[in-house]
Amino acid sequence: MPHHLELAAVSKSFKANKVLEDISLTADAGEIVVIFGPSGTGKTVLLRLIAGVEEPTTGKISIDDQDMADVAPEHRDVGMAFQNFALFPHLNAFENIASPLRARAQGDAQVKDGVARVARLLKIDHVLGHAPRQLSNGQKQRTALARALASSPKLLLLDDPLRNVDAKLRFEMRLELPRLLRQAKSTVLYVTQDYKEAMALADRIAVLAQGRFVQVASPEEIYRKPATVGVARLFGDPTINLAETTVGPDGAIDFAGEKVAIDKSYAALAGRPVTFGVRPEAVEMTKDKGTGLKAQVMAVTPLNERTVLLLQTSSGAELLASLPSSSAQIPRAESEVRITFNARGTHLFDRDTGATLGQGSRP
Amino acid sequence: MDHTSTFERIVRGILIGLVLVFFLFPIFWIVLMSFQTNETILRIPPSIVFEPTLSNYSALITGRLETTAGNLDIAFMKNLGNSVFLSVASVLVSLALGIPAAYAFARFRFRLGEDIAFTLLSFRFAPPLLVLLPLSLYFKQLGLTNTYIGLIWVYQLICLPLILWIVRGYFEDISPDIEHAYRIAGNSWWQTFRKIAVPLAMPGIAAAGLLAFIFAWNNFIFALILASADKQPVTVGALAFVTASGIQYGQIAAAIVLSIAPTLALALYAQRYLVEGLSLGAVKG
Amino acid sequence: MTAAADHIPRPKTSSRFMRRALPYLLSLPALLVCIGILIPFFTAVYYSLLRFRLNLPALKGFIWFDNYINFLSDAAFWNTVKVSLVYAGLTVGVELLLGLGIALLLQKPTRFNNIASILLLLPLMTAPALAALMWKLMTNPNFGILSYFVSLLGFTDFKWASDPSTALLTVTLVDVWVYTPFIMILLLAGLRSLPKAPFEAAALDGVPRSFVFFRITLPMLLPYIITASLFRLLDSIQQFDIVYSMTQGGPGDTLMVFQVQSYLEFFQYTNVGRSAALLIILWAITYLLSNIFIKQWLKLRERAHGGA
Repeated sequence: MPHHLELAAVSKSFKANKVLEDISLTADAGEIVVIFGPSGTGKTVLLRLIAGVEEPTTGKISIDDQDMADVAPEHRDVGMAFQNFALFPHLNAFENIASPLRARAQGDAQVKDGVARVARLLKIDHVLGHAPRQLSNGQKQRTALARALASSPKLLLLDDPLRNVDAKLRFEMRLELPRLLRQAKSTVLYVTQDYKEAMALADRIAVLAQGRFVQVASPEEIYRKPATVGVARLFGDPTINLAETTVGPDGAIDFAGEKVAIDKSYAALAGRPVTFGVRPEAVEMTKDKGTGLKAQVMAVTPLNERTVLLLQTSSGAELLASLPSSSAQIPRAESEVRITFNARGTHLFDRDTGATLGQGSRP
Repeated sequence: MDHTSTFERIVRGILIGLVLVFFLFPIFWIVLMSFQTNETILRIPPSIVFEPTLSNYSALITGRLETTAGNLDIAFMKNLGNSVFLSVASVLVSLALGIPAAYAFARFRFRLGEDIAFTLLSFRFAPPLLVLLPLSLYFKQLGLTNTYIGLIWVYQLICLPLILWIVRGYFEDISPDIEHAYRIAGNSWWQTFRKIAVPLAMPGIAAAGLLAFIFAWNNFIFALILASADKQPVTVGALAFVTASGIQYGQIAAAIVLSIAPTLALALYAQRYLVEGLSLGAVKG
Repeated sequence: MTAAADHIPRPKTSSRFMRRALPYLLSLPALLVCIGILIPFFTAVYYSLLRFRLNLPALKGFIWFDNYINFLSDAAFWNTVKVSLVYAGLTVGVELLLGLGIALLLQKPTRFNNIASILLLLPLMTAPALAALMWKLMTNPNFGILSYFVSLLGFTDFKWASDPSTALLTVTLVDVWVYTPFIMILLLAGLRSLPKAPFEAAALDGVPRSFVFFRITLPMLLPYIITASLFRLLDSIQQFDIVYSMTQGGPGDTLMVFQVQSYLEFFQYTNVGRSAALLIILWAITYLLSNIFIKQWLKLRERAHGGA
């Protein structure tokens, strides 16, 4: 089966400024691909290219195997929700949502039904008569989403739709969106800079940094096997602990002056300068006085269902650990603990390029 | 500055009063004159108490001036009609030419566009005769002298820069995403322009159109050079009328009142946009 | 206009050429107007290098810069330069002071002040040529109300625009009447758009008001003052309507400003070459001024449109 959407070596420059470089991506029908990256990395530009309101400098965009180069935005059958909503200020919510239906020359009755269907889905049936400026931010966001969904487009482009709404609504929508998107049966490209949103929604995540994809993979794989130190840093809360070090001959890591044995497979990298990373949840407390690294608990903070500890080793290095709040092992602040690293949460990266050299695998 | 002294408030009041008198008295006085007969106008000392008469206006409107010396035809209503036609047509033409161009300059920001916009702007400040005198010779060859078409064409010199630069500002203020959204929803470029861009820029279009009308109406030099009596607007016609009617001061005043009334009324109606229009879109009121 | 999408196996493609050409197509009419202006402009440049008299077509010939060189020793030309500059300087100077004063008087946005500022716009909306006629009626020696007023002050034979010693004053008065509201309304908009904080801070600190005016108000208002004055200067140096309607450049050559002089040169003396050369010189002056002006104007415009 051909891919529904295919980007082949797409690049975009504005004058001398390269915004996107060599972007290749495929998406199957019905798949939800999240484009994830910090702001200013060209995510929005990518969606605009696909929607056809900007043209790529080089490269090819195909939908259903057809080259989109000469296809105007109105003929691409995409729906798009803008980060700033981009509602038509002189039309009420109903007409905003109706616009894709009217453009498809549907009769009044069909338009009415279509709008009613999405409005009900998004719980905005009661504000359809309002002008955009009379809507709350949450209602605006839902109207924008409804407009994108109204014509059941085959391809749905969502540009950080939860960015400009308050925290409560964002939380609700994060729960609701997966169901909505599955119901729409569209292929979805979803842009966000919130890693939790990306993890919750994506079939696959494409991580964008400095205009390039650094990794395209399932959420699980992105988290377990980040392709670069940058990706590792972007996913996870609290963020991954990183330390610059070298690998010993036996594969052990020199961490804060202590030899830490993690995984024998690292022996192959002996002598190499690396960045060592360990996920906070892989930092474990041990009761065994003979093993592990001595550390002092500097602070204890609850975060969601987990508790985050700020630890300082005897040599002064700081690192974060995260334990389930229900755990009996949570030490008090100021107390001394011994820690070990669970190999499954450890990573090695090349110190110069940041590319991954491998993950710990032994449990 | 809320604690102004009573003294200061009185001084301010007097000063504003003087300013208002200076700027409004001439209009007031001409209106008074237009309702007087020549006898009351020539009375010394002048007085604001008199028996008002509509004879000046009726003479203008019927186009017959009956004097002791005989009857005189007045073409003034024709001039008024010319002013209306020339101004309305010029504004409509410049809206038709200017709105699409303003949109192109605002949205696409291309070299040629900037060149056109700035050339038109810079000729807004060039001496009009520089263009008009050679044009009058060309018009003779082309047979455009003393035609409405020729005049409307020349009026673009004042109307078009105004429309272009004010409306352009309004188009620039519309978020491109709003237009993108409408395109993506399935509408062509043309539909988007008509249903989104133009309605959203409407305040600017209205302001620019009203101002262009006022400037076209008030223009003097174009018609002075390119039109003869039958195509002349009131600004030129009134001058000729003064020469022709000699001492019929009441009628002259009435003609002036009729000539300035439309722009003054429009100005009061459109005052909200005047600041922006007068500064070609540089200052918002 | 589109058929239902499901009947078309492939989406409609549109020509890339049309998409690229769109901006140019949209600006084509404006471009034509532009060309329509530029052709006479270059023709005027060409005429200015010719011996070209409409009544003596046989003498027509290319004489390079003779028209310009002749100006150097021509008293009438220098009179025109002097009169135009004096006229522009005088009118804009008076209008700026008066306009600023009135704007400061009306600064507070009270209902009364707003109505006053709208009423003050009426002279500006009066056609200058008609305004000149109004003032002509008011300064008529037989019945003019202003003539009556000055006679009460003892000037029984005040001739206004017909007397060389008072003609400039009279025409300036009309120009001031028409155009002061222009400066006033721009400065008023500028004053009201100034940030409040510096003034509140100064008021709290008890800073003297003259200091506030010269050190805070005036510097912050400066972009508006410069824009408004340059705008006026550009118009005033080429004033035609008021001067022509009132005196046609007279009495004598007292008010022979650039455009009136070249108008008469063209229509009365039918000396096209000389008329064109005069206008080119005026154009050069306004071109320099307008370049400075447009820079200032663009800055203000950017501010008004949120720096977009």
